Amino acid sequence: MGGQACVFYGAAEFSRDTDFAILADAANLARLRKALADLRAETIAVPPFEPEYLRRGHAIHFRCQHPAALRMRVDIMSKMRGVDPFFKLWQRRTTLELPDGTKCDLLSLPDLVQAKKTQRDKDWPMIRRLVEANYFSKNSRPRAAQIKFWLMELRTPRLLAEVAQTHTGVARRLVAQRPLLEHGITGNLARLEIALTAEENKLRAQDKSYWKPLFEELERLRHPRKFDEKGKAE
Amino acid sequence: MIQPEELVGDEWAEWYRLTPVQRWLESEKLWQTYLALGGSLDPEPDTQSPFFDARAPRPRPAHGRSGVRILRRGRV
Repeated sequence: MGGQACVFYGAAEFSRDTDFAILADAANLARLRKALADLRAETIAVPPFEPEYLRRGHAIHFRCQHPAALRMRVDIMSKMRGVDPFFKLWQRRTTLELPDGTKCDLLSLPDLVQAKKTQRDKDWPMIRRLVEANYFSKNSRPRAAQIKFWLMELRTPRLLAEVAQTHTGVARRLVAQRPLLEHGITGNLARLEIALTAEENKLRAQDKSYWKPLFEELERLRHPRKFDEKGKAE
Repeated sequence: MIQPEELVGDEWAEWYRLTPVQRWLESEKLWQTYLALGGSLDPEPDTQSPFFDARAPRPRPAHGRSGVRILRRGRV
């Protein structure tokens, strides 16, 4: 769901870890444990590899020791902020077949874009590239779902204004969900750019708030003695 | 109609014009070159990630050096 999915959809990321979104049920976790054992993958840092952490939204981190993937990081997640539950992601997935016949299941582009709305600087240019690439790959008669996706997710002022002015009726209906479309309809690029930055900042702040309790939990797992002493002092 | 070249330059426009499978295969070639040059699979520390732990020990390559090193540096 990470760097390779971004490459597939049109952004470019040289990501050295491999991220997986998984279904955290018992049967699937048993299969995952077997695959990780084949890779001689060991958990690193915290949290431990237990379903409860996955279900609460944590990522579990592994490092592979198999010679064919030596030191490769694998990150597993089951729940992501603002992203639909796994069964919906699975229904919408893209399946890719590599030349050797290996099949890879990727998050759909709209789901990948949602997953990238984080507090990290590097994710935002990525979202912009992903949606731009999709926009430029359009055919002459885009589907209604595509137009809605561009209007809701484009982060490039000129393109957003182009879509809003070409599909004004749809854009007007979506203003309640994304108020900055108003600037796209009127073609005010300066205001649109300011509004896009404000939108990004708001979503980054939401991501930070979402992670605050999870981060505190990670800190307690990382430094249990420090938290025990703090508890005693209080 | 805005063209990709106007917006992102020739290099990105060319990348956008590849099919998803072509992009995937180009990325694989880059990986092979990177690994052939001795690049490590250890990810860069991601200091903005909620998972980042500044106090965690970082793995070192077995030979004690980074995968790629500068042998000669030109002056500005």
